Parts: sequence; C-alpha cells; structure tokens
Amino acid sequence: MILAGIVASQQVLSTMGQFQDVRIRELAQAQIEALSVALGPHVLRDDIWEIYDTLERAAGETEEQRMTFTAVADENGYVLAATDPDRAPLDSLISALTAEAQSPKTLSVTGDAERIRLLAPLLYQGREVGQILTELDVTDLVIERRRAGRLLLLGNALATGILALLGYVAMRRMLLPITRLARHMRETADAPEPIPDSDLPRGDTEMTRLVRTYNDMAGAVEAKAETERRLAERERFVSLGRLSSSLAHEINNPLGGLLNATDTIRQYADRPDVVRQSADLLTRGLNHMRDVARATLDQNRLDRSSAPLAPDDFDDLRLLVEPEIMRQEQKLNWQVDASEECLSQFAAAPLRQITLNLLLNASTASGAGGSVGLRISEKSSELRLSISDSGPGLSEAARARLLSTGPLPLGGGVGLRLVHDLIEELNGFVLVDRRDGKTAIEVVVPVQQKKEGTQC
Amino acid sequence: MTLQTRRRVLGFAGAALAVSALPLCARETFRLGLTPVFLDNDAEVIGHLRAALEAALGVPIELEQRRTYEEVTGLLLEGSVDAAWLCGYPFLQHRLALSLVAVPVWNGQPLYQSYLITGKNDDASSLEDLRGGTHAFSDPDSNSGYLVTASDLARRGVRPEGFFRRTIFTYGHRNVVRAVADGLVRSGSVDGYVWEALAKAEPDLTARTKVVSRSEWLGFPPFCARVDRMAEKRLVAFRNALLGLDQTEEGRSALTLLQLDGLISGDSTLFEGIEKRIQDYEKLR
Repeated sequence: MILAGIVASQQVLSTMGQFQDVRIRELAQAQIEALSVALGPHVLRDDIWEIYDTLERAAGETEEQRMTFTAVADENGYVLAATDPDRAPLDSLISALTAEAQSPKTLSVTGDAERIRLLAPLLYQGREVGQILTELDVTDLVIERRRAGRLLLLGNALATGILALLGYVAMRRMLLPITRLARHMRETADAPEPIPDSDLPRGDTEMTRLVRTYNDMAGAVEAKAETERRLAERERFVSLGRLSSSLAHEINNPLGGLLNATDTIRQYADRPDVVRQSADLLTRGLNHMRDVARATLDQNRLDRSSAPLAPDDFDDLRLLVEPEIMRQEQKLNWQVDASEECLSQFAAAPLRQITLNLLLNASTASGAGGSVGLRISEKSSELRLSISDSGPGLSEAARARLLSTGPLPLGGGVGLRLVHDLIEELNGFVLVDRRDGKTAIEVVVPVQQKKEGTQC
Repeated sequence: MTLQTRRRVLGFAGAALAVSALPLCARETFRLGLTPVFLDNDAEVIGHLRAALEAALGVPIELEQRRTYEEVTGLLLEGSVDAAWLCGYPFLQHRLALSLVAVPVWNGQPLYQSYLITGKNDDASSLEDLRGGTHAFSDPDSNSGYLVTASDLARRGVRPEGFFRRTIFTYGHRNVVRAVADGLVRSGSVDGYVWEALAKAEPDLTARTKVVSRSEWLGFPPFCARVDRMAEKRLVAFRNALLGLDQTEEGRSALTLLQLDGLISGDSTLFEGIEKRIQDYEKLR
C-alpha cells in the first residue's frame, strides 16, 4: 500500500517535472530569441554599451525577474557585457561561467537547484554571432514541486493510515475465528475441545470449513482416546479374565481335597487324629486360597503408588502366574537377587503391573512345555527386571508397542504399550535381546528422583 | 559663377521655394536639436523646456533628439533643425558654419569641467592609475566625454586605444556614470555638470562612483545655429527667448530642472580651453 503510494507520488512528481521542463524551455527559448533579435546588431558592431543597456532593460522587463543574470559573449567566447559585470567582466572568457550550463533543448528544472544556467548560441540573420549565458531563477518551480511533494506525502500518509486502519480492522475481523481456534487449541489440556456451533463463522467460507475440520478432528481425537481407553480396559479385563480363570482353577484344585477332608471329618468324627489331620489339610488349603485372594486384591488395588516394592510382591506375582505356568506345563526359572532395601525405593504397583504383564506375555509366547524366567537384579542406582521366554520372539507389531511412542498399529492389544508407558513414567527403558532361541526383555528402572543418591 | 556656386544658389532657391510651399503652421514650427547630454532620460525636463520656449516664442517647438552628437550636428548643418544645443567641441569643429546663440550659466558662470570617474572602491587617484583598464567615453564628439581625456593622453603621446585595454562609447553622459557605477568599465569620462546634476537627482547612482580628477574650467555646451541664418527673425526671437528664460515662470521651472542659472550671449573666447585641447589632440592624430 505504501509502495503503491510512493510509486504514484513519483509518477505525479515526474509528470509535474516534465510539465515544468516544457514550460521553462518555452519561456527560455522565447527570451533567448527575443534577446538574439535585440542584441544581434549590437554584437555585430561590438557596441558594448548597447548590449549592456539592452540586457539591463530586458532584465527589468523579464517575467518575475526570472532571468537573474545574463552574459553575452562574442563568437570567440569573450564576454561583451553582462547584467552583473563583476561576475562576468568585459573581455573575460565566458567558459569560466558555463559549468553545469544546460542547452535550451535539454533544459530541465528537476533538480533541487534554485538557479539553473542556460547556454545558447546567439543567432542573428541565420548565423551564430555569439553566445548567451543566462541564469534562471526557478525557485518558484522548485517550491511548487516541493509543495506538491509534501501534499502528496501528507495525502498518501493519510490515505495509507486510513487504509491500514481499515485493513487492520478487516484482518482482525477475518482472523477472529482463527484467534478463537488458536485459543481452543492452546487451552487444550488432554484432548482438543470442539468449538460450539454458536461460535462458528457465518456462511460457507474457508474459515467455516477450517473450524468444522477442527471440530471433526477434535471429535476424532476424542473418539481415538475413548477407543484407547476401552482397549486398555479390555486388556485389563483380559488380564483379569486370565487371572480369574487361573484363580478359579487354583481354588477348584484344592476344593476336591478340602471336600474330601470335610467328608473324612464327618465320617471319622470320633477319631481325633484323623480330624486333626483333615483340619490341618483344610487349613493349608484355605490358607493357600487366602493368599491367592490377597495377591489378586493387591494386584488390583486402586492406589498404585502408596506401597513400596518388597520381595513379597514377587512372591505374589509368582503365586499369580504359577497356575498359568502349570496349566501349560512350563518350566519357571525364578530368581530375585535384589535386596529389600533396594526394592523399597520403588513403588510396588507399576513394577508389579509391568512384571505381571511381561510374565503372562512370556508364558503365552513360550507355549506348552516352554520355559519362562524372571531375574531381578540391582545395580548401583537402578533395578533390572529381566523376563525371558523360549518363544519365537517379538513380532514387529509387538516390538513397536513395547519400544516406541508412535501411534499404535491397528489390531493387537495394548498390554505392551501399557508396559511401555509405565516404564516411561518411571524414566526407565527397555532392552530386547534374542539369543540362543530365547527372548529376554530387560527393564531398567532408575531410582526415583526424590530418592536420588540412595544406592541400591 | 562656378558650377558649384550655381548649384549652391539653385539649391538655396529650391530650398526657399520648398519652405515657402509649407503650410503656415509647419513653417512656423521651431525645430531645436538636442544632444543626448542627460536630457534624453528625462521627459519632464524636455517637457518644461519645450513649454518655456513655446511660451516665449509663441510658436510650436519641436525638439529633435538623435543618438550621437554627429547626427545632431549634421541636422543643424543641413538645416533640418533651426538651432541645436551642442557641445563646445562640435561647435569649434564647425566654427565657420556655426554661430553661438546663447551659453548656459551654471553655478554663476558659463563654464563646466570634465570628470574622470571610477567605481567608488577603485584605488586609482589619477589617470595614470587607470592604464590597461576599460574606459567609457560618452561620444567621440563630446568635449567632456571624450576630448578632455583623449587630449590629456595625447599630451603624453598616447591614444586612448593604446592606453586603455578597451574603450566603449555610451552616447550619453548618464550612461557613462551607469557603466562605471555598474562595473561594466573601470573608468569613464563624463560631463562634470551632468555628474553634479545627477548627484542631486539620482544620488544613489553617483554614490557608486568616485571622481578621480577634474579638468580645468571649459566653455559650457552652447546653443548654436548656422551662421547664415543668424539674422532670421525666428532665430533672433529664439535667442531672446533663451536669454530671457529666467524672466518667465515656465523658463525658471525649466532652468530649475536643468539646474542652470540662465543663459548669456557668450563669445568664442569661452571655448579657448577646448580649442587648445583640440589642437593637442589633433597633433597626435
């Protein structure tokens, strides 16, 4: 806008300059011709006084004293007379004054000079008898052009200001939906919040389409989050289902023995030794069932971060996975080498969840008759959980869920991704190693920040 | 009678016939030639002079002005004008053909001086200091505006063209003052009466000049007529009108504007100084 104003102003000033040039050329040409007619005979006769007197009278009659100085030289360039003899003394060379002098045909007033010089041949009866140097006062033209320039500048500045203000208001109005959209996106906490229909821009504009697209996207994100939540729940229920199944099996197995014990007590109520043995059997069976129930309750306790990790937690886990191991007739290699002091520096709930998920996955991967191993070890400031299996190794999809934070591939569960997220929350990392037909997943978890400095 | 004498008689007779054939009013008009002393620039002076003379003579006065002394002298000699206000130099050049009618009186005497002037800031104090400069003369037939300086130089054995780098003629004493005051030339030879009159009428102009030297007192530029017409009634009347100019109201107004006291008959002895200068000048020539 400003550029357009500058270009337009330049055009106006240029046109004005050309107009002034034409005007001054016509004026100068007319005056030179008039002077030539008046001076010609005197120059021919070398009549100094008449030349001077003619110049004086011409200077007095010129329009608004336009010609401020005029000198006439003979054909050899020697001054014959000048309106200011001090500047151009008689018989001096006129060339001393012709610097920057212009010719009548190219006379221009476009510069800032308030006086311009013009050197023209003095023609009389068709031949050049001398030269005329004249100095023209073009102050009025320069002032006129400056005034026009100032007015243009002022006008342009005003117009630009008004247009810029209007443009600003228009842009503000146009960008209002964008601003609203940006605010919604900025204020987004967990999921983008759709813009209500009442705030939608009117009409079927690009902006309306953009906001609608945003709303669709917000809906899609919400739907995806919901789906992930459901998947996580399902995974949880799947785990619970499997656990429940194991639990039922675990309860069902001793139930026959326990019922036999109660029958034996009922049948041999008069034999205290038999009753005692049966009661012991009942106690052991019921104790086992109690332990299983407790482990299950602990696993599903809502408050995950309150209790510190302890060796008992691994006993619980063993209790929970053993039925599945036994069901599949697998070999379990269980090794907990971490001290209680080291373990107590970690929260129990996430590590239990991580270990259980990985153990159940390892059991599934190993298949019937396979082997599953757990090894807990400690290093200077970290805890290492190594879960191994004799399965065929992690698929690409499973590896992606466990190791990367990218979007979940379609299909498959979210158990490994939950493991990944939990490890990430604990600032830990995962190493996957496949060697000698065995897959080992090693989880390394550093001591938590608040307890930094504590050695495991 | 020689052929030339017969032609002259025939010429005079023809002229007499032509004059007698003119209408009365035209024949009675008195023609006065004026040299461009400083009058050419002052219409008011000319107007008053004409009015005063018309009142005294009772006939219309036609004032004839020309650019040079030579032209006015020519008009007088050929009879195109009845009388002329000349200068002592042309009067003496044609002393056999011309006669004095009256001589103006300035500052109580029929004399004036020639001034050698320069710009007011010029250091020159004598003519010698002006060697190699540019110089303005009034008219080659002017006593004060040429002859005085030329004869001064002639007495040193040099001509103006050899003494000055360049000389110009302005054909007017006021123009000489202007040329010097404006710096067109370094110095000038001017009628002292004109310079003094300008000093009162246009002090700003003369203030830009400086008088370097003054000549001796010389005969004031006189009114002249042809010798052979001096007895004519109209010339007698004209002479009386001039001599009695200070007696009439109009005459005094004209004299006041001319800054003159009046006019007297005068005689040729007034111009002996000029005569001497002519001789000195002619020697070199």
